[in-house]
Amino acid sequence: MSIENKKAFKDPVFIKESGGIEEYKFEQNGLTVLTLEDHSAPVVTFMVTYHVGSRNEAIGHTGSTHLLEHLMFKGSRNFNKEKGTAIWNELQNIGAQINATTWNDRTNYFEVVPSKHLERAIEIEADRMRFALLKDEDRKPEMTVVRNEFERGENSPFDVLDKNIWATAYQAHPYHHSTIGWRSDIENIPTHKLQEFYDTYYWPNNATVTIIGDFKKNEALKLIKKYFGEHKRSENDPPEMYTEEPKQEGPRRITVKRAGQTGVVGVGHKTPKGLHKDNYALQLLGKILTDGKTSRFNKNIIDKGLATSVFMYDFPFKDNGMFISYIFLTPDTNHQTVEDLVIDEYKSIINSGVTTEELRRAIAQTKAGVAFSRDGSYAVASALNEAIAIGDWTYYTTFMECIDIVSESKIQEAAEKYLIEDNSTTGWFVPKKVEATQDAV
Amino acid sequence: MQFKKQVIESNPIEGITTLSMPTGIKDVITFGGSFLGGGLYSPKSNKKIAALTTSMLDKGTESKSKYEISDLLESVGAEINFSCTPHHIQFTGFCLKENLETVIRLLGEQLRTPAFLTEELEILKTRIKGRLEQSKEDTKKQALIGFLRSLYPENHPNHRTTTEEAIEQTENTHIADLKTFHKKYYRAGGFNFAAVGDIGPTKINDLLKSSFIGWGKKEIPSVDFGLCAHPPREKEKEIHISEKTSTDTYIGQAIGINRDHADYYALMIGIYILGGNFSARLMQTVRDSQGLTYGIGSALSGISFGSDGYWSTWGTFSPELLTKGKKATMKEISDWYYNGVTSDELEAKKTTITGAYQVGMDSTGGLVSRLLSNAERGRGIEYLDQYPNIITDISLDSVNRAIKQYIDPDKLTTVVAGSFE
Repeated sequence: MSIENKKAFKDPVFIKESGGIEEYKFEQNGLTVLTLEDHSAPVVTFMVTYHVGSRNEAIGHTGSTHLLEHLMFKGSRNFNKEKGTAIWNELQNIGAQINATTWNDRTNYFEVVPSKHLERAIEIEADRMRFALLKDEDRKPEMTVVRNEFERGENSPFDVLDKNIWATAYQAHPYHHSTIGWRSDIENIPTHKLQEFYDTYYWPNNATVTIIGDFKKNEALKLIKKYFGEHKRSENDPPEMYTEEPKQEGPRRITVKRAGQTGVVGVGHKTPKGLHKDNYALQLLGKILTDGKTSRFNKNIIDKGLATSVFMYDFPFKDNGMFISYIFLTPDTNHQTVEDLVIDEYKSIINSGVTTEELRRAIAQTKAGVAFSRDGSYAVASALNEAIAIGDWTYYTTFMECIDIVSESKIQEAAEKYLIEDNSTTGWFVPKKVEATQDAV
Repeated sequence: MQFKKQVIESNPIEGITTLSMPTGIKDVITFGGSFLGGGLYSPKSNKKIAALTTSMLDKGTESKSKYEISDLLESVGAEINFSCTPHHIQFTGFCLKENLETVIRLLGEQLRTPAFLTEELEILKTRIKGRLEQSKEDTKKQALIGFLRSLYPENHPNHRTTTEEAIEQTENTHIADLKTFHKKYYRAGGFNFAAVGDIGPTKINDLLKSSFIGWGKKEIPSVDFGLCAHPPREKEKEIHISEKTSTDTYIGQAIGINRDHADYYALMIGIYILGGNFSARLMQTVRDSQGLTYGIGSALSGISFGSDGYWSTWGTFSPELLTKGKKATMKEISDWYYNGVTSDELEAKKTTITGAYQVGMDSTGGLVSRLLSNAERGRGIEYLDQYPNIITDISLDSVNRAIKQYIDPDKLTTVVAGSFE
C-alpha cells in the first residue's frame, strides 16, 4: 500500500452505542468495529467475525467454511512457518488463548491476550483477512485432521441424532447439513473451491471486528486503521443466500440404530428467524421445561427415573431454527413413553399456559445468565459473536429488555404457533447392544 | 495485578478460611469452596459413597424439599453446584450481590443438614447407573480407565474402578452409608471458601459465621499414600467398542514424584514442550504436518496432594490411521527423550505459561478456581504472585535432566479404545 493511500484512509465513523458497546465503521472498506473497554483484568479479547457460515454452502462443498477456517491457521503473507512466524507460535508464545469457530451463520477468529500484545493480534488477523496462503499441500494433511474431527463427533449418539434431525427437518435450506459437512465433501473438496470461497467472503465489508477488555479505544482504533486499512472493499458484495425452507406439511420421524448402551429421544419443532420477537417467549419456555430441578421435564421425566438427563436448545439463527428437546434415557426406559411425556407437556402448555411463578423464575434465571455473559472479556466477545451472526449485535445488549416484557400469554401463543405436530421432527437413537471386550496386544 | 494486595484472607470461625477478591465486575459474585472428604475417603468396600453423598446435597434438607431448594435458587437466578474429587468435596456457585445472604444460608443448610431420603437415593442410583452404562461407549473414558488400572494398584488415588464395578457399587449403596459418611467428614476443618466479584470481605465473613457456627470441627485421618504405582500390567492393550469411527489412545507411564517434588516444574515444562498446546511438538508434527489426528497432547496428571503421578500422551486417530499415528507419536517421544529440548523452545514455553497465567485472570470463575486450588494445596496467597518467577527461573539443564530421570521410553504402556480394522 502506498503512503498516499495510507493517508487517504479515513478514521472510522461512530455509528451507535448500546449497553456500553460502541459501533464504528471504516466507510471506505466497510469494516465494522465494536468496542467495550473493561479494565478489571490486564487482558483483552480481539475477534473478527466473518458473516459466512455453513448456510452459505451447497451440495458438494458442505463443510468448506469449516475446512477453510482450519487452513487459515496454516499461514498468511507475513505469518507463516517459512518466515518463522507461524500464527500459533506467534500467539501462543505470548500466552494468548487463540482459536476459531465455524457455525451456521458465521466464522470467528479470536485471541485473548495480555493487554500489551493487542497489536500483534490485530496485525495477524488483518494479514490473514486477505493474504491467507491456502496451499494445496496444506489442505491435504488438514483434510484428514478435519475428518478425524468429524469421526470424533460420529462417536457420539447425540451428535449423530442431532445431525439426522436437522437433515430431516430442513430439506431445501442449507441448515439441512451440519457445519462440519458430509464426510465425502470433506474428503474431496478441491483447494481452488476453498480459494473461491475465501475470495468471495473474506473481505472487510463482510466482517465485524470486536475488541473487549483492557485497551484504550482511540489507540486500538488507530491500530485497526493501520492494519485493516490496507484492505479494499470487495468488488462485488458477497452473494445473498436466498433459499427458503418450504412449509412443512406433516410430522417427520427418523431413527438411528447403532451399537450403543442407552437410547436418546429428540423432539424438534421449527422456529422463526432469530430476530423474530416470538423467540424471546420460546427462550423462556425452554427454561420452564428444562432448566433446573423445578422445571417440568425434571419433575416429570428425571425425577421419575426415566432419564439420566434432559437438554434442550433453541439457538437463534439468522434464518429459521429449531426448538429441540433431548432426553437421554435410563437403561430400561421405553422411547415411546418419554416421547409421549414430552408431547403431553407441550399440549399442556398449549391448552393451559405457564404459571406466573414459572415465568418469574425463568426470567430470573435468564437475568443471571445475562449478568454472567459479561464475566470476562472473552465471555462478552463470545456472546456478542452470536448476536453479530444473526444480523444485529444489539440483540446482545437489548436481550434482557425484550425478555422482561414477555407475558404468560405470549409463551402460550408461541407454543400454540410452533409446538404443533405438523411442524415437528422426532428422532430416536436406538442402541444395538454389543459388549465391549479387552485384549492385551 | 497482585494477589497479595487484592485478596483478603480471614478466618470467620475456626476451621474455615475465606479468600475474598473484589474485582470490577458489577453486581455478580462467583464463589467456590472445598474441604477434605472426597472419593479417597470412601470406605474401601464401596468407593462410590463419597460421590453419592455429595450428589444427595441438593435433594432436600431437613427443612426444605429439593423443589424448595431449587425454587429458592432459580427464583433469583443463582446456582450452587456440588462435586466430589478424589480428595475434596467441592462446591461452586454464583449469584447476584443482592442475593448473597439467601444463597450462603442455603449453602450452609445443604452442607449441614441434608435430608438423605431413601426414595431420592433410589432415583439418583437409577440415573447414575444409566450414565455409567452410557460411559461404556465413551472411547476416551474407557481408554483412560484401562490405562490407569494398568499403572496403579487398587486404592491408589490414581487407580480407577471399572465401569461394571462402579455400577455394582452404586447399586449396593444405602442411605445409612451416606449418613455415616456425612457425619464423619462434613465438618469445619480445612474448609476453604473463595469469593470473587462485587464483594466485601466483611459481608462474606459475617454470613459464613452465622451459617456455619457450631458445625463442629473434624480431625481428618490421612489417606494412606504409602501405595505407589506398580510395574505396568501390560505394555499394550486394546479395548474394543463397536461401531466407533475414532479411537482414543493413551501412551505413558507413572513418574514416581508428586507436585511438591523439586523436579516438578522442570518436568512439567519439558512435557509442555512435547505436547502442552497447539504449538508444541506433537500438534505441530502429528497433526499439523502429518494430518494424522484432530487432537493430541501430553501432560502430567494425578500429582497433587502427595500422590505419585503419571505422564500421558493422549490422541485420537481414525482406525485406519491408528498404526501410523502411534508410530508418529512414538517417534516424537523418542526424539524428545533422546535429544532433549532446546533453549529456544524452553524460553518460548516460559512466556506461553506466564502469559496464559495472566489471561486466566479474565473471569471471576477463573480467579475463584485459582484461589481455591492454591488454598487446597496449603499454599499462601504469595505463591500466586511468585508463580511466574518460578517458571521464568527454570533452567534448560534441569528440564533435560528431569526428562531423562523420570521418563523411560522402553517402559511405556499404550491403551487404545475404539473399533479396530
